[in-house]
Amino acid sequence: MEFRIAADELKKALYRAQGIVERKTTMPILANVLVTANKGGVTVTAFDLDIGVVSEHPAEVTKPGAVTLSAKYVFDIVQNLPDAQVTLKKLANNYVDISSGSAHFKIVGMAAEEYPKLPKEESAPLVQISGNILLEMIKKTQFAISSDETRYILNGVFFEPQANGKVRMVSTDGHRLSLIERELPGDFKLKSGVIIPRKGLMELKRLLDEAPDAECHLGFAENSALFKKPGLTMVMRLIDGQFPEYQRVIPKEGEKVVLVPKTRLLESLKRIALLSADKSNAVRIGLAQNKLIITASNPDLGEAKDELELAYRGSDITVGFNARYLMDVLGVTDTDEVSFELGDEHSPGVLHGPGDRSFTAVVMPMRV
Amino acid sequence: MRAIIHVDMDAFYASVEQRDNPSLRGKPVIVGGHAQRGVVVAASYEVRPFGVRSAMPMARAMKQAPHAIVVKPRFPAYAEASEAVFNIFERYTPLIEPLSLDEAFLDVTASVGLFGSPAEIARRIRKEIATELGLPASAGIANAKFVAKIASDLAKPNGQREVRSEETVAFLAGLPVSRLWGVGPKTEEALKHEGLETIGDVALKDSAWLDSRFGSSGRHLWELSHGIDARDVVPDRAARSVGAEDTFDEDLTGQEALRPHVHAQALRVARRLRRAGLKGRVIQLKLKFSDFTVVTRRTTLREATDDGQTLYRTALDLLERAHEGRALRLTGVSVLLDEEPPQLGLFPAAPPRSAKLNAVLDRIADRFGTKAITTADIAGADASDDGAHRSERPVDKPRR
Repeated sequence: MEFRIAADELKKALYRAQGIVERKTTMPILANVLVTANKGGVTVTAFDLDIGVVSEHPAEVTKPGAVTLSAKYVFDIVQNLPDAQVTLKKLANNYVDISSGSAHFKIVGMAAEEYPKLPKEESAPLVQISGNILLEMIKKTQFAISSDETRYILNGVFFEPQANGKVRMVSTDGHRLSLIERELPGDFKLKSGVIIPRKGLMELKRLLDEAPDAECHLGFAENSALFKKPGLTMVMRLIDGQFPEYQRVIPKEGEKVVLVPKTRLLESLKRIALLSADKSNAVRIGLAQNKLIITASNPDLGEAKDELELAYRGSDITVGFNARYLMDVLGVTDTDEVSFELGDEHSPGVLHGPGDRSFTAVVMPMRV
Repeated sequence: MRAIIHVDMDAFYASVEQRDNPSLRGKPVIVGGHAQRGVVVAASYEVRPFGVRSAMPMARAMKQAPHAIVVKPRFPAYAEASEAVFNIFERYTPLIEPLSLDEAFLDVTASVGLFGSPAEIARRIRKEIATELGLPASAGIANAKFVAKIASDLAKPNGQREVRSEETVAFLAGLPVSRLWGVGPKTEEALKHEGLETIGDVALKDSAWLDSRFGSSGRHLWELSHGIDARDVVPDRAARSVGAEDTFDEDLTGQEALRPHVHAQALRVARRLRRAGLKGRVIQLKLKFSDFTVVTRRTTLREATDDGQTLYRTALDLLERAHEGRALRLTGVSVLLDEEPPQLGLFPAAPPRSAKLNAVLDRIADRFGTKAITTADIAGADASDDGAHRSERPVDKPRR
């Protein structure tokens, strides 16, 4: 194997691999990327047995072949090369010579044959999608994904095509839930929704972020997802299981509804939560005649209080919340105002855009 | 002003035996274990003039009252009677702090408007226990826990005594210092050394003097001698752990012999957890060896449980690690209760698979008693019943 490639191209390929390769693993080869050179160019593959990314790059190939190399070290090397071009040449015993300008590296690699094979997903019916919309949907659901590994069903986002050419994405950690519905027309040929795991979703987000306007395709087959954009293919295993019946926990309409200026509420939560007890982020949100009151108290520190003026004529109420959960929602809300619905101390709070429930977050209260 | 009632059943186990077996009524009855090794679990009032007390070795009791009728303990019957007694308490207040199967503090401060004066409430409770359950009980009424407890003791048997707040100091004054809460033989000795024989003697000293002699407990002694005891009645629900332990009639060695006992204890704890609607994640096994040394081993489960088999499996793991083949006098299984998490959940947790089975077992036990259905190992070893001296409500209170 021998090829010459632009350092930036190789850097891009290795950057894509960084989030996928496993650093701490019982299989050392999973810390490597598979570099394959053939007539058309070079592909760089990263695979952790669940998620695989194959990145294609133009290169001047003088001798086809393949080898695996440490994703991390070669990425570091490529970022510090003296020249815009770099040549990789496989030597005996899977050693690889990396040379650029005056610099030479001789790196220990591992045999390409030992690299695990990615699942073939040619059967997946691919649907062309808008990268921008998918990116928005990921950003507005990722924060509510559970990181509790004992509830693996919740360790991902539920992707559920609707009948009207829309797709719904839902995430929940059991304490809060985020739902977004957007136009993503096309037939995914899914009988029901699928659960995309967090790590795969985060990698997908990174790949979309590179060039959101690029032509993207998404498809599902068996228990995996396939994502393609020019020069790149990603496969990932989905979470196998039944996502909870999320519709049941989304209240139709709260008893007490206020329209709150988003930035004001976000900033207020941030400062009041500084005084929440034991880093719990617990704050009390009160509604009274034409104002919203945020308070927190910490037995070791003291108390904090802030008020926002707004239109409210209902009865007084105070509900405890984890400020972090509310801030996560407000942080990804695009509108200047947000509709905040409350029930009682034990009922969920609901946040969505004014008159628009296509992005809705549900947050359960805290006992305070 | 707080109103606290201390209710104490009179010779509880013996009274249950006399109630259930008319031929024992009016006779000296000792509820106890093995004639050589066992201890007196309860003594009826008829046998007390002969100096027989609970916890006394059986051999000595038999020497002092050879005419007494000895009855083997029937713990399931006492547990059942205890539950009925506590059900009566619950008619008057939710603030019930159980001290054992047959004794509890009741805070009736807020019940006065509904049911009448504290003394009236105590009378009603005792009357209901007598007419509905056929059992005698005594009660003490005061504004502090330790005063109420002393009062009920002085009212025994089958009586009640109220100590009004203005009478408290005078009431306590004549009593020996050993009656003060927290005064053991050592402190008693030290107090007597200073010439303080009665609680009244202590009350006359100023607290600075007591501080200089008794350090940090000086203040405490002075307060108690004036009837000041700020401890609240801590309801069972606020208890931090639920446990069951048994002292064996004979020391036991080897997994084989111990397993049925640990199993029975695990099932008892689980039943009580479910009855109270509680769960816990931290499981503790207590072992008392034949030389009276005690070790405890604990482990934390991933999820809170109220399932007896889960408790048993966990306790067994602990037993295997801690037993070391030594002879054991006692084993105990307990569960530390989970505090309610402040964050509410969106989805009600799916009940574990064991929940259905446990619910059925509980219904059978409620209807036919806990012996009606049990596991084969326990039935074989008879560990659930006569084989041991058990304590059913060793509930650790949060320390104040």
